[in-house]
Parts: sequence; structure tokens; C-alpha cells
Amino acid sequence: MNYYDYEYTRPIEAKGGIRAASRRGEFGSNWWAKRWMQTLEQFRIGARLSRGRSYARRGQVLKIDIRNGLVEAQVQGSRKRPYDVEISVRTIGPNDWGRLRQALVEQPVIAASLLSGRMPENVEDAFEAVGLSMFPERRDDLETDCSCPDWSNPCKHIAAVYLLLGEEFDRDPFLIFRMRGMDREDLLGEEFRQSAQTIEGPPLAPEPLPDNPETFWTNPLPALAAADLGAATVPEMHAALPRQLGRFPFWQGEQDLVATLEKIYAAASQQAAGVYLNQAEP
Amino acid sequence: MIIIHAAQLAAQLTLWAEDSEQPSQSGHALDGRHPRSVDVRNLTDAVGVSLDEPTGAEMEATIWLPSRGNSPLPSEALAGPAPRSRAKPRIKPWRVPVISLSSTQAIDLLQRCQNGRVLTPGTALGPDVAYWRHVMLFAAGLTVRQQFLPNVIPHSDSTKAVWTPLYVGDDAHRLAELARAMPPSARAMTIASADRPPSTPPQAVLKEFISSLVNHIVRQDAQEGTREFDSAHDAWLHALTTTDGAIHAANAQLQQLRRQVAEWHRPIAVAANSPYRLCLRLEEPPEPDEDDPPAALREQDWYLRYLLQPHDDHSLLLPVNDVQEWLSPDFNPTEFLIASLAQAGSVCPPISDTLNKRSPSGAPLDAEQAHQFLTQQAAALQQAGFGVMLPSWWTRRGTKNRPTIRAQVRTPPMQGGANMTMASLIDLNVQVAMGDEVIEAEELFELADLKVPLVRFRGQWVEIDADEIRAAADFWRNRDQLTLREAVRIGLGADQQAEADNVSLATTGWLSELLESLQQKSQIRLLDTPAAFHGELRPYQQMGYSWLDFLRWWGLGACLADDMGLGKTIQTLAAILRDHQEGNEKPNLLVCPTSVINNWQRETQKFTPSLTVMPHHGPGRERGERFTQQAAKHQIVITSYGTMTRDRELLASVDWRSVTVDEAQNIKNPVTRQAQAARSLPADYRIALTGTPVENHVGDLWAIMQFLNPGLLGSQAEFKRRYFTPIQAKRDDEATARLQKATGPFILRRLKTDPTIIDDLPDKRETKQYCNLTREQVTLYEAVLRDVETRLEGAEGMARRGSILDTLVRLKQVCNHPRQLLGDNSAIAGRSGKLARLEELLDEIIPAGDRVLIFSQFAEMGAILQKHVQETYGIETPMLHGGVSRKNRDLMVDRFQNDPNGPQVFVLSLKAGGSGLNLPRANHVIHYDRWWNPAVENQATDRAFRIGQTKDVQVHKMICAGTLEDRIDLMIETKQQTADQVVGATSERWLTELSNTELREVLALSTKPED
Repeated sequence: MNYYDYEYTRPIEAKGGIRAASRRGEFGSNWWAKRWMQTLEQFRIGARLSRGRSYARRGQVLKIDIRNGLVEAQVQGSRKRPYDVEISVRTIGPNDWGRLRQALVEQPVIAASLLSGRMPENVEDAFEAVGLSMFPERRDDLETDCSCPDWSNPCKHIAAVYLLLGEEFDRDPFLIFRMRGMDREDLLGEEFRQSAQTIEGPPLAPEPLPDNPETFWTNPLPALAAADLGAATVPEMHAALPRQLGRFPFWQGEQDLVATLEKIYAAASQQAAGVYLNQAEP
Repeated sequence: MIIIHAAQLAAQLTLWAEDSEQPSQSGHALDGRHPRSVDVRNLTDAVGVSLDEPTGAEMEATIWLPSRGNSPLPSEALAGPAPRSRAKPRIKPWRVPVISLSSTQAIDLLQRCQNGRVLTPGTALGPDVAYWRHVMLFAAGLTVRQQFLPNVIPHSDSTKAVWTPLYVGDDAHRLAELARAMPPSARAMTIASADRPPSTPPQAVLKEFISSLVNHIVRQDAQEGTREFDSAHDAWLHALTTTDGAIHAANAQLQQLRRQVAEWHRPIAVAANSPYRLCLRLEEPPEPDEDDPPAALREQDWYLRYLLQPHDDHSLLLPVNDVQEWLSPDFNPTEFLIASLAQAGSVCPPISDTLNKRSPSGAPLDAEQAHQFLTQQAAALQQAGFGVMLPSWWTRRGTKNRPTIRAQVRTPPMQGGANMTMASLIDLNVQVAMGDEVIEAEELFELADLKVPLVRFRGQWVEIDADEIRAAADFWRNRDQLTLREAVRIGLGADQQAEADNVSLATTGWLSELLESLQQKSQIRLLDTPAAFHGELRPYQQMGYSWLDFLRWWGLGACLADDMGLGKTIQTLAAILRDHQEGNEKPNLLVCPTSVINNWQRETQKFTPSLTVMPHHGPGRERGERFTQQAAKHQIVITSYGTMTRDRELLASVDWRSVTVDEAQNIKNPVTRQAQAARSLPADYRIALTGTPVENHVGDLWAIMQFLNPGLLGSQAEFKRRYFTPIQAKRDDEATARLQKATGPFILRRLKTDPTIIDDLPDKRETKQYCNLTREQVTLYEAVLRDVETRLEGAEGMARRGSILDTLVRLKQVCNHPRQLLGDNSAIAGRSGKLARLEELLDEIIPAGDRVLIFSQFAEMGAILQKHVQETYGIETPMLHGGVSRKNRDLMVDRFQNDPNGPQVFVLSLKAGGSGLNLPRANHVIHYDRWWNPAVENQATDRAFRIGQTKDVQVHKMICAGTLEDRIDLMIETKQQTADQVVGATSERWLTELSNTELREVLALSTKPED
């Protein structure tokens, strides 16, 4: 342990930073997240990542921005001003992307899986088929820089960012594409262009009021008498929908998202059941 | 009449109203205001909303309505006459005062308007209000099922944390249905300054309102105040639980938050935007060849096929192989399919395995996986919004597809009949069966040892759980006796343990007959009318009486729920009479509403004069020992619900042969004192009478069944768990069927419209409705009598005659309503016993969709009735009297006869409407007061009863018991033959020919007011 290490092990407490979801053990659990970690191991970065662990878990990383092959982050160290971290990844050129797109489109299941947030295991084959590699192959495909005074590379700040990226890989398979210079929207081309979908649904076309008095005051009851309005069953598992969504990207809250939502959902079910049943109970 | 409407404005339910009493033409002075609109104050009164916060200045909005010329068209006939102009209707803006409801107020209002009756007297609800009530129920159900996600939306001044409802799977279909059903009036409102009509599509309007309700419910315990957070994420979580939802964070952070939330939502957004849902169909293995070895059963022969089903047309099922072809700018089918399969795969792992295939069309399953899919995953997938289709043998499986325990009952021979009671013990012999076949337990266990949960056994798919069947077999083998009550409970599927263990009862002899007769009422042997019964039972009454007698014989309680007018009373009386003639001397208790005590007493005297009747109510009733002694000397004791509750202990001290409750809905709430009192009365058997369809009100059933057959449906908590909650909250058809099976044997309900009943009915049935006087009416009646005494003193000739006729009119007025006598526009409700009885009749007539003519000889009474009916039921009630023009009369008649939405109630004065009209659409005629000339009355009745009449007509003649109405009715009855001669053509003059003494007898009051 050298002097600097000792000096800088006590960072200033960061507020509202990104907290790693994993409390112990590995960062990232899907195969592609593990492949990312393997890549780092290959470059002999892996072993030194452990120094970033506590930073990543305590939320010292204040923000991470990723675009077109460049990762920019701010990490709260022991100095008042957070350190700037940059990781740049060698991008794949436009021509190569073009060939890859062709290969992917020919395998709609791969393309669709990607779009729905899953990374099919054979996606790397598609890269290889056109002579490319999905993950960086050489150490110098990755360039890193940190504004801290620590000479070692990766320093704990860079290491913490690497680790959080590992977790983000878990969630977003497109991260690796972005790091290699391709946005999700452009990757698969027109045929698999994702519409800007929100849970509110698409906007609807306007519909003018009818001027026929017969239909204007239609009694809806005959139509609704037989309509199934859905059961009002309290689900066995609370907050199933947010659970289905998986982790929130780079969660920075002090509170645990799912645990907090679970309480709200459970209480909402109770409330709503009261509204639904009203005084109809025996 | 005020008609309340509700439209959505800025996500809030906004009320406005039309007032039929305002003129329809808009003058220049109105300046764009709706001519019949109602001001905020009257609107608030009409709705009965308690506004927490003052609404402040008069609020106004614009409602865009179909209009002709200068007038908006009325929403319905009740809202006023349509303008004369024949111009084509056009949408025009009208300014109206409005109340904007908070979500709490909206929910409260929509909950309150669930029953037929109106919110406050003199109001009616527009179709849009009923519509929003359905929407509220849907929103509440959606929230119970937790179909919403936290979200962020930018607002004009801040970024807000909101809860966004999700419509996936069936909910997308439901949303589409609701949008289709929306009356345009529900989305016809804009802010006052808007210069063009609203064109927001129904679905968007709907979503906005649902969203506001969901947010309101989720934020029920909202916190106030702002707090500082270090991360935008915590600020967001906090804002999700505050009232206004504003997120306090820096702009850059908020923008990032929005991006992250959208990304987080992505997998579900795909499903939420899809016009389809994924449907999974389980297909069974092909029929094996005769030579195939049974081992083939274990192979992966089951198949789960993937199909897509459009939300707006559930009848279409599209194979997924060619989804690529449906690519559109808004929808990527492959993406949707993969996302859905991935989601389904988390519930059903074999689906995940197919994701690596190039274009999966389904997943192969083995028997174990198929069984898991059937028993567990299918329900979970359905809940998650997927369509699931299972083989029909599974969905309508009963005991046929499972091994069952068969309890063979060894029926002891009957000895003389009567010594078998529900507590008697019968012997059992337990076997195992598959479908109809008894099989050796060993054979079953061999099948079970295959360790395959689904096997084809003699051509049928059978579900086998070896452990379960062994445990149940052991338990039941150790039982060798049952009480008859238990056997009935098992036979009717009301026994939980037996049901859980798949116990079926195999019976022979009289026990089979008993169970069969319980379930199939047509099996019951028809009895002859008891000899001492005065009158004739129609065939269906014969059946009802035989059924009552059958249950009575077994000591079981019966609920006779025939439609009004089918003669529940005489069927009950016949059953009581027969029981009495068989030598059961104990008294029978009859409990009914005060208003019909008189009816019961008279019907008893008329049909079963051999049974002695003792009314027990009012201040002068017998108490203590004397009551007990008197009761024992009579066959029937009649009391009111009120008296029964007050004299509970006294009544419980008598050993009753039977207790009958009339209008049994009075005991539907089990915690009320009268329901408890009714249950506490000891009796050998019980009868409940009601004209309302009890079987439809799950919540009410328990109390009535508990009264009739205590313990049959288990405790209230058990009942709630087994039937009420599944049926009420989950719309569980299976639970409905179970409940029907368990309660059906004890409920007999026939409708007038049943083809078999119609043939039995006479074309025209007359019932006399005896009513009581209120205390006020008694006082007024006596005052009129005192007055006439002095006036008749020494009067002669024309003067005497005039006084008598005048007195007759005044006494009739008293019987009708104090307001009619006093002519003072005083309050209507609660002052007339006759009117109260009329309401009871209308309570049954109106919900049944029947149509009724109400005749009165007094125009002023007709007006009172018209006003009261409109204001109490919120339905259009025209009135025809001498002052109505010929043209308007024809219009009224035409609407009543031919308009599908025409009025259900038509009030007519006897003079104007008594002849010449043709109103056969009515199937009830009520004579609110009497014209002492049968010919006039019959002529009026014939308005409804004409050639072409397909429905039967029921005639109700209302008579105040113990008054001149009662006495004159009796005179006419006894002098029926000579009535025409006595009474003369159309006058009541004959009464003036009576002597003073005779007259005094006719007019005297011999009744006490209601207690």
C-alpha cells in the first residue's frame, strides 16, 4: 500500500450518486455482462477493478454519459471537486456497421430480441460472420483517463465506472453498441426502427361530435350491461409490473425502488377494492 | 324536473343540468346561455354533493349540443319538449353553469347513483352519468389489479410524477369497448372561451379520466409539502406520493429522469402499443393408435401454439408465422412477439426455450409441463394479459376428469315417513370412482405410479394426483355414517370439505328422490288443493304449493320469489292449511310490512276461513302470558317487522309451527335487529316470500338462507370467501354455478313472462291493495266526519244530498293524500299510507320494465302523483287530464304505445282517459281511488286490456282499510249482481239515498293508524 492509496481512501461522502445494485459479489449477471468483464480481464484490468467496488456501491459515481464510443463520468473522490473520468472505446466504422446490419436483419429473431432488451447468444456469431468483434479485442481499443492524481490505471474512479457499466450491460444490451459508436435507433435500420413508444400509447385521431340527437345521448347501458369490466382481484404478488421491468437505469435514489413501490401498490389495491365493492358487502 | 349530466373537462368530471320547467326557446337576453340550464346553487342541491371547498364565483363552461335554430335539443323527453323547428340539427355551443368535481366527489357521486332511485327528489340522471359510473368501476378494478406504472410527464410549469394506467391484454379490449359505448355528451364540454367544438376522441377522454381516478386512488394517503433530495430519483419517488406530484430537481436532472423512465418502461411500452395480444393455445396429443404402447404417453406430444389476437376483434386468431407482413410504421410485430414471448417465458419456461429458434410458432410440452400449464401457468398468464385457450374437456371439467370418492349411501327403508329428520343418521359405503365407473383403488394407484399427471384413461384425459387421492380416500373410508343434513349439503355441493376431497354422493331409494326433487323441481309430485281451501289454484300455483309442502315435509326452508301478482300469498296459505289439516296444531307466525298486514288478514279470511287469524301489532296488542295463550288458540298470527323486533323475546317464547317472512328483502342485511330477530324465532320450518330476484343479489342471499336453513351455506365469513368475493369481485362463473346449485333448491321464482305461466294466467287479474292511514290521515278523516255530523243535522233534500256528496269527496281526498284535501302544495312524501303502498308497487313494476296506467278521478291527485313519481324515480311521467289538447293527447298516447324509450308510467284522470283510448302496452292498471261504479272502472281498465294485448294485465285497486273505501267496496262486492241497478249509470248518487244511520256506518273509521 503506498502513500497515495492511504491518503485517498476516504472520499468525501457523495449525495445522490449512482449506487450499484449488487451489494456483494459480481457486477452484472447476464452472459453479455459477463463477457464484458471477461474482456476487461483479458486486458488485465479485471483484477484491479476491485478497488472500485466500494466507490461503486456507495454511490461515489455522480453521473455517467455514454455516446458514440465515449463514456464520460464524474466521480466524487477525496477532493471537493469531483474527478472527470473518460473511457473511449474504438468504434466500428460506418461501412462495417452496414454489413453487420445486413446480417442482423436476415435473422429477425436476433434483431427482435435485441429490440425487446434481450441479447441472443448467437449475436456474436453475426459479428464474426462479417469479420467483426462485438467486444473490443485489444487493450488499446480502450483508452481511459481520470483527472485524479493517482498514477495507477485503472484508478479506483475508473474502476468504479467500469463496474457500473458492467451492471448497465445487464439491463441494456444496446450499451455495447453505443460504446462502439452505434445508437439503438440506427442499428437495425428502417425495418426494425422502433417507434417512439411510451406506455401512454400512441396519440389518437380527433373525432368530431355527431350532430344527430339520437346518437348524441345514447344510453350506454345496454352495451355495457354485458361488458366485462375486468375482475377486481388483488394480485398475489404486489408491484408485478415494475418488477417485470427489471432494474432502473443507473438508480441514484437512497430508497430502494421496488421495495418502495411495493408498499404503494399494496395500499392502492386496498383502497381501490374499497371503491369497487363500495357497500355491496354482505 | 332536473336532469343531471356529466362531461369530462380537464380530466375532471364536470356536472351541468337541464331544467324541464324552463322554456326551451332562447331569447336574446340569454346571450348564448343554455335556456334550460340550472344555476350552480340548484345544481349543488340537486346532486346532494357536499362541496368541501366553496366553488367560489359562478363557474361556467360551454357544452356543445345538437341544436335546432335557436334552441338546444333536450336530452330526452323528460327534459322538455323538442323545439318546433324541423331544421337539420347542428352542433352549437351553449354556456352552462357547472360544478367541477374533485376525484373524491366524483367517486362519491358515482357510487351513490347505483340504484334505480334518483339522487334527490325531482332529479334524474342523464345517460352520461351512468356511463361514468361504469368507467369508475373499470378504473377501480384496474387499480386493484395494479395495472399502472410510475411515470414522469412535463407540465407547463413543472415536471410531474404521475401514475399511468396500463391497458394490456384484455384491458386493451375493455378500454376499446368502453370507448365505443361513450355517449358523445360525455365529451361535449369545453372551457367557456373555446371557439370550436371538442374533438378529442372517446378513448383519449376515457384515458384521461381513468388516469385521474387511478392517481387519486393511489395517492389516497398523499403527503403534503416539499422535501429536498440529493437525487432526482428520490425526488421522483417522493413526488409520486404527494398531492400535486411536482418533482423538485434541476432541469438537466429532470430531463435525464424522463429519458431513464422511458427507457425503463420500454419492454411494457411495446405491449401497451400493440394492437394485438399474444394468445397461447394448448393442443393435446393426437389420439393414439390402438396398438400404441401406453409408454408413448410420456413423450412430448402436447403443443402450445402461439397466436395473435387483435384487441378490437377477439374472434380473430392469427398464426404468428407470417407476422412480418403486418409491419406498419407504428407497430413492429416481431418485436412485439419476441417481447411477449420473453415475458410469457418467465412464467412458462418452455416458451423461453423457443426464443432461440428462427421463427417459433409454438412450444412442444410433455405431459408434466402440460399439466403445469393447465393447473398453474394458464391462470398466471391470463392475469398478465395473455390470451389462453385450453382444451374444452379441461375448462368444463367436473369430477369426470378426476378420480373421485364415491360415498354410497345405504338408504334405510322409510318408516311411516315422518320420523326421518335432517338430523337422522344414514350409513355410508366409500368407493373410488373415475367418471361414472367405480374402479379398484389398486388400479387407480397403478395409474398414479406412472407419475404422469395427465393420462388418457379409457379414451378420456384424466388428472391424477396420487397423494391427494390416497389421503382423501383414507379420510372418507373412516366415516361410515352421515346425518341427512350432511348428505343434503354434500349432494348440493355446499360442503367445503367434501368438495375439496372430490366426494360425490351415490344414493338410492328415497334419498335419491329427495336430492333429485330438490334439484329438479319438476320432479315434485303435485298435490290436490286442500279441501277447505276457498278458491282455485292455477296449475303453476298448484306446483308452488306442492313445492312448499315438499320442503316443509323435510323441515327445510323455502323462498318463494314469484313475480308480483302471481299469488305468493295463496300458495303459502294453501301450504299452511294443508299442514294444519295433517294435524299440526301449533300456530304459524307471519311477518310482513305494516302496509300489507290488512291484505294478509283479508286474504286469509277469504281463502282459508277455517284458519283463525290474530293480528299482533299496534299499541293495543296483547302482551305477556295473554299473548302466549291467545296465540296458541289461533292458527295464524300476523305481525309487522317493527313489532317483531320490539317483541322479539315474547315471540321467541312461542313454539311456532312455521315462521313466514313476507317481503323478505327486509331481512337481507344480516346484522340488522330485524334480521336477527327473525332468525331467533323457533319454528319447525320457514318460508320467505319476495318479489325481487334474490338470486341475483349474492350479498343478500346469505341472510335469507341463514334464516331459512341455518348453517347450510356455512358461516358468513365462509360464504364471503367461497361465493361473495369470487362472484362480486372476480366475476367467477364457477362460483356462481356452485352458489346456484347450493341455493337453487330452496328458491322458486317464476316470471309472468315465462311461457308456461302466461298460459296459466287469466287475461286480467284483479288484486285489492289494502293500505293503512297515517296518523295525520286519521286525524283529518275524523275531523271531516265531525263536520258532516253537524251539517247533516236537520238538513234535507238537495242540501242534504249536496253535503253527503261533498263529504264523500273530502273523505276520498283524505284517503288519497292530505295535500289533496288541504290543497296547500305541502310536502308529498311520507304522509299518505296509500301513496306508500303505491311506491311499493312501483318499486317492483319499474325495475321489471313493465308499463303502468294510474287512474285517479281527481286531476289534482293526478298532478301530485305525476310529480311524485317523476321526482322519486327520475322517469318521465306524462299526465292526461281534461285540459290536455287533443293533439297533445294523441302525442302522449303515441309515445306511450310506440316509442321504445317511451314512459313506463302514465297518469290519467278517469274522466279524460277512462274511455276512447287504446293503451294495450300497459300491463298494470292501478286505480288509485275508486269510482263506486264498477262499469266506469272496468271501462278504464279496458284501456289496457284490448284485443292485441299479448301480455296479461294486472289490475290493482287501492283501498284504505277501515274507511269508507273499504266499506263501499264490500257493498259492491256483495251486491255485484244488482250493482248496476242499485248504482245507476255513472253516478254515486245512490249513496245519498242511505239513511243517516246507514251513512254513519258506511263512513265511520274503524282502523288505527300505523304504529
